[in-house]
Parts: sequence; structure tokens; C-alpha cells
Amino acid sequence: MHMEDLYRLLRASDVQAQGIVDTVPDPMLVLDQALCVQGASRSFFETFKVDRFETIGQPLFELGNGQWDIPDLRRLLDEVIPKSSAIIDYKVEQNFPDLGRRTMLLTARTLYHPDNSSHSLLLSIVDATERYRQDAAKDMLFDELRHRMKNLLAVAQSIAQHTATEGRSAEEYRDDFLGRFGALAEAQDLAFSGEAETAVKALAERILAPYGDAERIVIECGAPAELSSRTISSLGLVLHELATNAAKYGALSQQGGQVRITCDADDANNRLRIQWVESGGPPVKAPARTSFGTRLIESTITYSLGGQVKLDYAQSGLQAEIVIPLGSAAPPD
Amino acid sequence: MQKTALIVEDEFPIALDLQTLLEAHGWRVIGPAATNASALRLLEDELPSVALLDVNLGSELVAPVAAALRARQVPFAVASAYEKPERFGGEVLAGAPNAGKPVSEWRLLAALAQAMEL
Repeated sequence: MHMEDLYRLLRASDVQAQGIVDTVPDPMLVLDQALCVQGASRSFFETFKVDRFETIGQPLFELGNGQWDIPDLRRLLDEVIPKSSAIIDYKVEQNFPDLGRRTMLLTARTLYHPDNSSHSLLLSIVDATERYRQDAAKDMLFDELRHRMKNLLAVAQSIAQHTATEGRSAEEYRDDFLGRFGALAEAQDLAFSGEAETAVKALAERILAPYGDAERIVIECGAPAELSSRTISSLGLVLHELATNAAKYGALSQQGGQVRITCDADDANNRLRIQWVESGGPPVKAPARTSFGTRLIESTITYSLGGQVKLDYAQSGLQAEIVIPLGSAAPPD
Repeated sequence: MQKTALIVEDEFPIALDLQTLLEAHGWRVIGPAATNASALRLLEDELPSVALLDVNLGSELVAPVAAALRARQVPFAVASAYEKPERFGGEVLAGAPNAGKPVSEWRLLAALAQAMEL
């Protein structure tokens, strides 16, 4: 039953108020002119863990060791109510000794008795603590998602900006960019999939999937390392650069070539080591100048992830060793 | 005199983008720095005309650098994906112009100009 309906009913007839008050699902009090409790709904006793005996006939502000003696509520009842006939969803926050900090929505309505000049007050109290907490949690989550999305766009923007154009056809630029963009998308997908425990292996598998089968690409990961979503997307870009280079110039550019990726975390899970070893490809020599791809590999590991990377252009094939700090060890400095 | 900007941003591609943009407009970039510690070290050597801060640096927030800049009266803007950076990065960021993310050229230059006028 709505408070409005109850109000009309109580005004129009002299039915037993208590029975009606008990049908109201929210905690509710009927107060007299002196703000003493005349009646209370069953859910008032249940919600605030008090019994009828210690409630009925007592002044509101003395109930439960004065837990209702809330300055906002006093102001509402002393000043606002006499001037207006109804107050709806007035928010008060209060520490209740047995319940902790609660956010309450108060709705109050003055009830004039037709036969004499006295009046009563209906006061309903909705505990909205949980609702406000959920709203706040949702806001936080929404902010976080938006933050990640914008960050992702910013990284994509930068990659579009810095992917080489000099001496490249539009098609070559597009393919280079889309390769990096695809790696970003794969990593992002994994970061949100909740597979964090097998993240490094899963990430390597996803990024390397377009470049060959399990015979050409061997991925061996020891102890699973839990990675943050930021680390996953950074590592995704790095693995993609290594893979696309191997496909263009290295072991994956010819028959019989192989890439072996091993990763392991140290016992304390503070450090993740990834080794990338190419073999069976054409003879390798160090590039004459540092490309954006190489910068992306080196700076993502050292700058973004605070780790170390060693690129060894060995004759037999490129070898890369990557070490990044994990968890509380990241970022170092 | 050439204007200088300290960039604090933990993601390499984004830091590179900001740096490239500012350098194309005649700025000299100090950093970029990925962590509070490295940004604070850079501040000991040289105070920039203005600083551009990311709010969330991986596992830490940029508040210590913002406080150090305030103490040295160096103006700063933020480049954050958060609508209200101070809600995450602390009150020290309140009132700083936000260039947003992803950053656009005019927004970035406008935010730095605004920071320097404040």
C-alpha cells in the first residue's frame, strides 16, 4: 500500500491504524504532536532490531539510545514539516550502533484529525544504503570501462600516427597498421576474458596464431603469471612486432623455420621472463636503423612496463629476452 | 625563449604521441617520465614552463608529482580519460585543465595555454 493511500484512508475513517501500518513493507512510524511514537510497522521493528515495548510511547529522539537523534531529521520535523504537508525521499545519513552507517530516505506526511485540532505524523524510513552502494559501484565500473576504452583509442591513435609511411605504399601502411591494431584487439579481448591465470601462454597463442601451426611455433610456459590488463595489452603489441618481423625477415619467412617461446615466472611471482628464439630462417643481421617496430618493442618493455629487453641478432636467428616486473614489483624505480 | 613541457605518461605509445605533437609546435619536451620517481628526478634538474600529467601511472597515481609542481608553482594540465581526474588522482588535480584522451592537437595546446594562464 502506498503512503498516499494510507494517508487518505486514515483521514477518511477511523479504522484501526495499526493493522494498516503493518501492511506497509517499509519501516514506518506514526508520531503524535510531541513526536512520541504512537505506532510502528512490523518492518520498523525488524529492520532496526528493536521491540514494541521499547518503542511505543517513547519520544522519537530517545529511541534506541538516541540513534534517531539526527540533526537533519530534527530539522526536518521541527522546521520543514510544519510548513509543508509532505516531504518525500529526504536523504539522511547516520551511523547506527547496531547497523553501521546507513543512508535513509525519509518520507513524512502530516495527518490532521477532523474531530479535534491535533495532528499526527506518518514517517516512513527506507534503508537505501545498498541501493546507493550499488549505484556508486556501477558508476566506478562505468568510469573504469570508459577510461580503458579511451586509453585504448589513444594507443591506437599513436600507432596510426607512428606506423611508417616513408617509402611505403598505402596498402603496406594499411597492413602494418592493421596488424598492430589486431594485436591490440586480441590482447584487449584476453584482458577482459578473465583468463588472467594463463595469460602469457594464451596471449602468445592468440597473437602468434596467424603465423603458423604448433610445429613452427612452440610455446612453452611454466608457472602461470597473473598479468594486469595493461601488461597484457603492452605485451600483445611486443609479441606482434616480434612475430611480424619473423614473418618478414626471420624464421617464419621460409620453410623449416621455427620460433620457440618460453616463459616462466620466478618463485615469488615478481618477475616474468619471456624468451623468443628463432631458428632455421635465413641468416640474420641487425637492421641498419631503428624502426618504429623495434622502438615499440624496446620502449614498451623498458618504459611502459619497467622491464628489460635484449635483442640479439644472432646469425642463427633473432633471440629476444624480455624480463618484466610483476605485481607489487611493477613498475620499479 | 623556447617553451618546455614535462610529460608524465606511463604508456609508451601515448607518451610518444604527446611528445611528437608538442615538438612539432616548437616545444622542448622534458621526459617523458613513466613513474612519479623519474618525474620527480627530472624536476630536480629543471623546472618546465608547464607539465602534462596522466592521472593513472600503472600501479600509482600522479598526485606526488602534481603536489611537487604546485609547491614549485609550475602550472600543469592533465591528459586523462577520466571525466573528473580529481576523483581518482586526488584533490591536488582539481581545477587543472584536461586535454582528454585520445588527445587532439588543438585540445592539447588549448589545455597547456589555459594552465599557464591560471
